[in-house]
Amino acid sequence: MNKPRGSHRLLNSGLLPCMALSLFMASGCAASGPAGQAHPFNKIDPYENVNRNIYKFNDMVDDYVAGPISDAYRYITPKFVQTGIANAFANIKNINVVFNDVLQAKFVQGAEDTGRFAINTTIGVAGLFDVAKSLSLEQHQEDFDQTLAVWGFSKGAYLVVPFLGPSTVRGVPGAAFDTAVNPTSYVATPFQALSMLNARANADGALRFIDEAALDPYVFTRESFLQWRDNLATDGKSNANTGLGDEEMDADLAGTTAKGGVLTMDKFGFGKASHTFAIVKDSFDQTTLAFEQANSKLDMLELSHSKWLMVSPK
Amino acid sequence: MIIRKLKPIMALVLMVLSMVGGIAHAETMLSAREVVDKFQGQLLAVMKIGKQLGYAGRYDKLYDAVATSHDLTKIARIVIGKEWEKLTEAQQKNLTDVFSKLSVASYAHNFKDYSGETFTIDSEENTARGGVIVHAHLTIPGDKDVKFDYMLKDNGDSWRIINIIADGVSDLALKRSDYTAVLQNEGFDALMVKINDKISNYSKQE
Repeated sequence: MNKPRGSHRLLNSGLLPCMALSLFMASGCAASGPAGQAHPFNKIDPYENVNRNIYKFNDMVDDYVAGPISDAYRYITPKFVQTGIANAFANIKNINVVFNDVLQAKFVQGAEDTGRFAINTTIGVAGLFDVAKSLSLEQHQEDFDQTLAVWGFSKGAYLVVPFLGPSTVRGVPGAAFDTAVNPTSYVATPFQALSMLNARANADGALRFIDEAALDPYVFTRESFLQWRDNLATDGKSNANTGLGDEEMDADLAGTTAKGGVLTMDKFGFGKASHTFAIVKDSFDQTTLAFEQANSKLDMLELSHSKWLMVSPK
Repeated sequence: MIIRKLKPIMALVLMVLSMVGGIAHAETMLSAREVVDKFQGQLLAVMKIGKQLGYAGRYDKLYDAVATSHDLTKIARIVIGKEWEKLTEAQQKNLTDVFSKLSVASYAHNFKDYSGETFTIDSEENTARGGVIVHAHLTIPGDKDVKFDYMLKDNGDSWRIINIIADGVSDLALKRSDYTAVLQNEGFDALMVKINDKISNYSKQE
């Protein structure tokens, strides 16, 4: 039996994550000091300075290690093999999904997901082919973080975990539980490495999108992650899915609150009525103007007619 | 004398004509659902010839489609939030212009080709504050459907899209956090530089 390498031993003993965390805590404290960039306090992200440092570190790891390995994997592996590997790992994950279905009392969905797992494991050759999809058995996403949300635990503060990325206070024990339940955690290291590689390769599109679209990638990642998790936890029924309150959705708010009055009226739905009255008033104003113009033309006509009558020979 | 008697009748005719004009305008105004349907159709049409058009061609074709279906000025104001009032009039105008260009540029960049995608409108609902949400989904062959919820508001002349929520992620909320973070941490000029950089990066792609 091979002896574990140094870094692996450190990871197994949990020393490396602890060291990394203390390093980030130290640099985070430094960042919040006078020399560093202090960010405005954000209720959902009270540890922003620490999180940003871990984010930078993860980004660097991705740029120099995970990204290039994933690129090489995607370059040398035929697409159908990549799809098969992704299908197989997604199929194994269905054990977690069924487990969490039951914990959330979603028994019908649990039965569907059990069927999905059984079909793909047998007919789909150990999950390499997603046969269940063609039978209209949708792939659900359930995990222990969502279960905790259903049980009433709030998500807590936003956290960025070294090497793993975005999470929340509730998400960390959620991920630990899911790791414990997932059989992939107990197989040989090459399979675990392949699982991580597959996860990174699947996230490639999203990471590229963030790079292209985000002005501040840290904030962009945080907001999209939190919205996505809220949406999953509420099965798409979250009222917060707009991410904005009604008042914030009213674009005129910023310009009208200072002037007063308009916001209060709008609360009672008078804004639209007022707008309709304004249109009607405009129409009447235009009509009156047209009438006045017509009237003056008629007066002119009448005047010229009388003049004509006066000058015309009798 | 006869002409003087005709005055009220002529005024009445003018009023009736102006009212008929108003009704005709209301009839030509597209419903929220039609606005979304038309925009999705225009987007798909551009995607189908996306490769031939190239980035510049897609940008030109989509500019009117986006400008007439989205309320870009309103979106820019919501995105900046309370910071909007702190900007000068010139900065507000500059931001709206650049934001509009970025919105079209991101459409031109992200919807560059066609591989059998279809948009389907599922339903619509009215919001408490007089808006409409149109629920739709994009079907991508061989991939999972993407759910799109379009939020529209009547700007007086027409229904306009002010937000798109893709699979539960609100574009407006995302941009609001992103933009205000840059504005608060780095200032207006840095925000403009970053937006212009994004537009420039998009334009360099195929």
